[in-house]
Amino acid sequence: MQTLLWAIAGISAMPFALAGEPFMLGLGLASLLLAMSTCVLAIGILWRRNRARRWAIRLEIVCLAASLLQMLVPIGANHGPVSLMTNVALPVALIVLLRKPREAFI
Amino acid sequence: MFDIAPDHAIGFYAGLLALPLALIAIRLRPGRRRVPGTVLGASVLMAISGAIHLALVSTHATEPLTAWLFLANGAGYIVLSIAFTWRWWRLASASLLIATLVGYLVWIAIGLDSPDQVALATKLLELTALGLVLVPVRGERVTHRSWRWASLGVAVPLLTVVATSTIWIVDLARPDPQHSHAGAILQATNGAATPEQVAAAAQLYSVTRAAILPYEDWHKALAAGYRPGQDLGGSSHWMSQHNVDAGYVMDPNHPQGLVYANSKHGPVLLGAMFQMKHIGQFGPDPGGPLTAWHQHENICVTPVGFEFSLMTPFATCPLGAIDISASPMLHVWIVNNPKGGPFAVDIDSEVVKSIDRT
Repeated sequence: MQTLLWAIAGISAMPFALAGEPFMLGLGLASLLLAMSTCVLAIGILWRRNRARRWAIRLEIVCLAASLLQMLVPIGANHGPVSLMTNVALPVALIVLLRKPREAFI
Repeated sequence: MFDIAPDHAIGFYAGLLALPLALIAIRLRPGRRRVPGTVLGASVLMAISGAIHLALVSTHATEPLTAWLFLANGAGYIVLSIAFTWRWWRLASASLLIATLVGYLVWIAIGLDSPDQVALATKLLELTALGLVLVPVRGERVTHRSWRWASLGVAVPLLTVVATSTIWIVDLARPDPQHSHAGAILQATNGAATPEQVAAAAQLYSVTRAAILPYEDWHKALAAGYRPGQDLGGSSHWMSQHNVDAGYVMDPNHPQGLVYANSKHGPVLLGAMFQMKHIGQFGPDPGGPLTAWHQHENICVTPVGFEFSLMTPFATCPLGAIDISASPMLHVWIVNNPKGGPFAVDIDSEVVKSIDRT
């Protein structure tokens, strides 16, 4: 799900890049690259690689911290249920599930 | 799309209530030890989705078909969330989840409902549940695992992309009355303008036009502290940081921004933009529906080059972009704007093109 959500975010930047926003192309590609990396980490976890599990936890912690910062700063960021599910609940769930190797690899 | 529809709010509360109840119910089932965690996770998510669907029956009693579908769907989810040890549980769950997701997309595509936060949250739960249902578990036959991996690798991504695209297209193509272009939220006003409001709008227009006419010479705008922003479809907003910081409220002599068409002959003045200082604080509205302010919400802005895109229905922005809202604004177009009038949210793109051609 995390891979898909990031991939969609990357794809969503492309129409704006086509409309003449060159930096959006870079961000879109970076998001797609992140989505691909997350997919590789997910495969690594399926293959019971401890390194993949640790990197996935780090990635989710960064994602969670950035999301919380964005929500706390008064810039009018979305605080709706979908945003909370995607940007807070999903990383928290992944961190909790990946925390212990035995649970992560079941 | 980013609001909770009043008739869906009960579904949101029912979903929140269902989460602890589903967790308790799972713990009380002795059969939970015989199934993997992914099955238990999917059961909990389906119980929440079922509770949301069942709660929505009461607020859709006047729409018999919708109410019956909610009832059947909710009951199906609840039964499947309990029957996770059943032999055909995976097949039945995957079928119901896919049917519900596709059914919802058809429902909104033909205009029988509009996407809102409760619906989107439910679809996110269902997509996650579908992923958990399809994940192969150890001890299965190799043929089962192969088709399960294939379904997981194709069905879930395909459904997610199709769902996101459909929801987004429907929302942009059929915005509700309070939303206009690209999801900007409009100030609530009375329905039709009164004669006094028409006169007040005309007065605002003439005073603003007279005040900004000197800026037809863009050098004067530059000298007054206005700085050009990014090109948006052939036009640019020139903002005065001083006027933004000073917090002038709809002052024709100190508009926060000027809008110029970027023609091949240089910038051509299109109008002024008043902007409030704080998010959610709409400005005075002398012309009623004629001079309604608008606020841009859920914009993904990148500090690099100050470019923007829109937040996806599942609330994500491209990497490095920040989700923000812009404080309310009101445009006054001094050129003829046939599609929306002098206070429209947007300038007609044909007007900008024709200026460039002349």
